[in-house]
Amino acid sequence: MPQAPEVSIAAASEGGYPVLEDGLSPAGAGAPAFKHSRLQRLADRWAHLGFLVCSLLVVGLIGGILYFLATRGLAAFLPMAGNTGRTLSFSEVFLSTDWAPSSDRFGILPFIAGSLGVTGLALLIAAPAGVLTGVFIAKMAPAWMRNLMRQVMDLLVGIPSVVYGIFGLTVVLPLVSRTWLADAPASGFAVSALILAVMIVPTIVSLSTDAFESLPAALDEGAQALGSSRWQAIWRVLIPAARPRLLTAMVLGLGRAIGEAMAVQMVIGNNPQWVALMRESTDRAPFLRALFTPAATLTTELVQELPNTAAGSTWNNVLFAMGLLLYLLTMVLILATRRLGRGKEA
Amino acid sequence: MNVAVPVFRRSRTSKVVDRLMRGVLWAIALTFVAVLILFVGAILKQGWPVLNLGFLTKMPETLDAGGGIKPQIFNSIYLVVLSLGISLPVGLGAGIYMAAYAGQGRALRFLRLCIETLAATPSIVLALFGMIVFVQAMGWSFSIRSGALTLALLNIPVITRVTEVSLLAVPRELKEASYGLGATKLQTILKVALPYAATGILTGLVLTAGRAFGESAILVFTAGTNASAQFPDFRLTVPGETLSVHLWYVTSDGTLPDAREIAAGTAAVMILVLLTLNLLVRLVDRAIRRRTR
Amino acid sequence: MLTPTLPETKPIKLSVRDMAFSYGPKKILDGLSLDIHAERVTAIIGPSGCGKSTFLKCFNRIHEVAADVNVGGDIQIDGVDIYRGGIDVVDLRRRVGMVFQKPNPFPKSIYENVAFGPRLFGVKDRATLDGIVEDALRKAALWDEVKDRLKESASGMSGGQQQRLCIARALAVNPEVLLMDEPCSALDPIATSKIEDLIGELKESLTIVIVTHNMQQAARVSDYTAFFWLGKLVEMDLTERIFTTPRVQMTEDYITGRFG
Ligand SMILES: Nc1ncnc2c1ncn2[C@@H]1O[C@H](COP(=O)(O)OP(=O)(O)OP(=O)(O)O)[C@@H](O)[C@H]1O
Ligand SMILES: [Mg+2]
Repeated sequence: MPQAPEVSIAAASEGGYPVLEDGLSPAGAGAPAFKHSRLQRLADRWAHLGFLVCSLLVVGLIGGILYFLATRGLAAFLPMAGNTGRTLSFSEVFLSTDWAPSSDRFGILPFIAGSLGVTGLALLIAAPAGVLTGVFIAKMAPAWMRNLMRQVMDLLVGIPSVVYGIFGLTVVLPLVSRTWLADAPASGFAVSALILAVMIVPTIVSLSTDAFESLPAALDEGAQALGSSRWQAIWRVLIPAARPRLLTAMVLGLGRAIGEAMAVQMVIGNNPQWVALMRESTDRAPFLRALFTPAATLTTELVQELPNTAAGSTWNNVLFAMGLLLYLLTMVLILATRRLGRGKEA
Repeated sequence: MNVAVPVFRRSRTSKVVDRLMRGVLWAIALTFVAVLILFVGAILKQGWPVLNLGFLTKMPETLDAGGGIKPQIFNSIYLVVLSLGISLPVGLGAGIYMAAYAGQGRALRFLRLCIETLAATPSIVLALFGMIVFVQAMGWSFSIRSGALTLALLNIPVITRVTEVSLLAVPRELKEASYGLGATKLQTILKVALPYAATGILTGLVLTAGRAFGESAILVFTAGTNASAQFPDFRLTVPGETLSVHLWYVTSDGTLPDAREIAAGTAAVMILVLLTLNLLVRLVDRAIRRRTR
Repeated sequence: MLTPTLPETKPIKLSVRDMAFSYGPKKILDGLSLDIHAERVTAIIGPSGCGKSTFLKCFNRIHEVAADVNVGGDIQIDGVDIYRGGIDVVDLRRRVGMVFQKPNPFPKSIYENVAFGPRLFGVKDRATLDGIVEDALRKAALWDEVKDRLKESASGMSGGQQQRLCIARALAVNPEVLLMDEPCSALDPIATSKIEDLIGELKESLTIVIVTHNMQQAARVSDYTAFFWLGKLVEMDLTERIFTTPRVQMTEDYITGRFG
């Protein structure tokens, strides 16, 4: 009877794949002595380099994006080669609301505020709705409803920005303008935020569903065994226990919202008129009207104006600085999710 | 010691709040269902009158009404295929590295951080990068190749992640069995783990394709807003306006008299394509699950 | 039916008649009938997978939280069918407390864990809460160990302390019945004996049903013992008799470890 081939496997210290000890023949008595060909051995030895290169490419990309955006974006503030534009101070860009590029004034505060405003509003709708839908899917809905909701979210996340944009433009804007504004135009924060909320809800829903599903069932049972109603257990135990991951979900939703360009560009009006409205209005509550007054964000301004500017001009440089700002913001948000994650372990 | 614990009774409010919140949660969830139905319904309804063979097979007009979207359909598919062709090997390689070679330490954590950052980077930022590097520095201007390469950046993190997750889901016994037969690590990955993970990766790939298909911000700044007058034009050096870019461009440019109709028709086509892709994923998924059961 | 014959002074608290249970299509329990007396400890023993936990969970319907289940037959608490339409499940669970196999404290402070239940029922007054918390912790023999660190997180406690915390948490809502599913399986002998002592004290005022794999424990703490096998009740009797003169051979084999 042939013996089982004796192959010793050194348990992998890492990665989940055991590492085969070198120089072993898998052949047992009676079988020919199979050997890996030279080529196979070489391939095995060097393959990981190929995979490593792919990974390094990704790392390189992160740095590369930063580098190239910085060369163009920082040109607005530092004298750099090939730069035909004027050198600006940080304060006249980041702290000024005066945006008149053709008159050489480059305050981008209206766009920063626009981005924050529209994102904040969107999150105000999407965060509670998303988390509650997540808990609904994970802890309350019957199986058929769970499946239906999963499909709905899959479809919502798959719809392209421009289709959201055209929907906003042709359906939501006219509807809002007709029903609430006496046919005055409705472009601005409100409608943009509404569209944006629908766009980021799937992200929040799917991450918070995961968060609730990964909680130990014992928590839910423990709460209900004490006489919690369904909602009491959700509100007093499950949501607090899932909090770090729910916050992460919101941060990632925020990231998606702040970076979205096309859909918002199609409905927001692309002109920070709300700033003037807020400044000039004499009545006490201009906020409500500001919501339906054209605005612009960092992303929409890039889409709108980048094609019209010459490379190396001050205007162009400032636009790239806005792109750089968006990228840095992404990095900050991702690092924030790390901190939230660590808070959970502590 | 003997504090009398009262006999607790459920208060009416607690019952009412429970009922109410159940209702609220159902209402929120059903609202999203309604939003989706309304959304898809409105897009299809607007586009329906425009959708006919002529619209799909005619070249676009620049100033007159009645143009089609033939080259945009081609460009969309062509760019998706090209960008996947670029990002698939990179994503697979990086995913394999993370699942099988990177260990559990700092290196893996750092790689994950990079992948997540790339995945979260707004497409407009990727567009700027593509514009600086491919359009300007390489001198490729607005072209299929600039577009495909930049679009690949969007796909890479998704494919990497899907590959990693699918590989980690391969049962340990399967890998050990392969090693037990004397297979090398590379052979085990390529011949045992990847085939097992293939279905997961494939599903991810279809979803990535859908995302690339719908992307517009990146392509406006790298592939441009013009389509070649030839058909089919496989050259990598010509501009390649896709469906989504076309939809955006005709809407915001405003020179076409029938921009509204064209946009509506294009949107409907895109929705139909995505619904089909989604159905495909579901069918494949179900078939696989039935087979493995 | 195999029921104990000793004259019993305590009333029947829980009664089970011809009960059947299934997870979806999967039948787990079948044709079960037994009575559980108030202020007594009833132990459930039987091989792994025979349905002991499932049986226990039927009394507070907690399995309905996570799974799709079917319950047939009749289960009554104080003569009221708990599966009848119109019964308030939430209130049922307040009356029938449960301690799980693995300690499952909430990720909150020790104090908040115990105060959780009373708060559910609208107790807000700080002094009242403090009183209930102290009382429950004392009953669970935990007060002296934690009285100086009530604000600390429960996850920093030892397994035995966590389990006693879960008992205190259950006691704080003043239940009539306490279901304990292998409460000591994750604990060392010292913590185990503390909990066994506790059971002895608690039965003064509570009905206790305990699942255990530990024969000595069943013999030590319980008044009645029921032996389950493959989803059926084989024998139930006074614990003394089950452990000395069981009527069914299978019971004796199981208790003496000669089973299978
Ligand atoms: N949620 C569930 N869905 C389907 N089947 C289940 C579920 N929970 C338990 N079962 C099955 O029910 C049967 C009885 O399980 P139960 O947990 O009641 O056994 P047990 O006697 O408590 O065992 P142990 O001593 O190991 O705790 C087992 O065959 C188990 O596989
Ligand atoms: Mg059990």
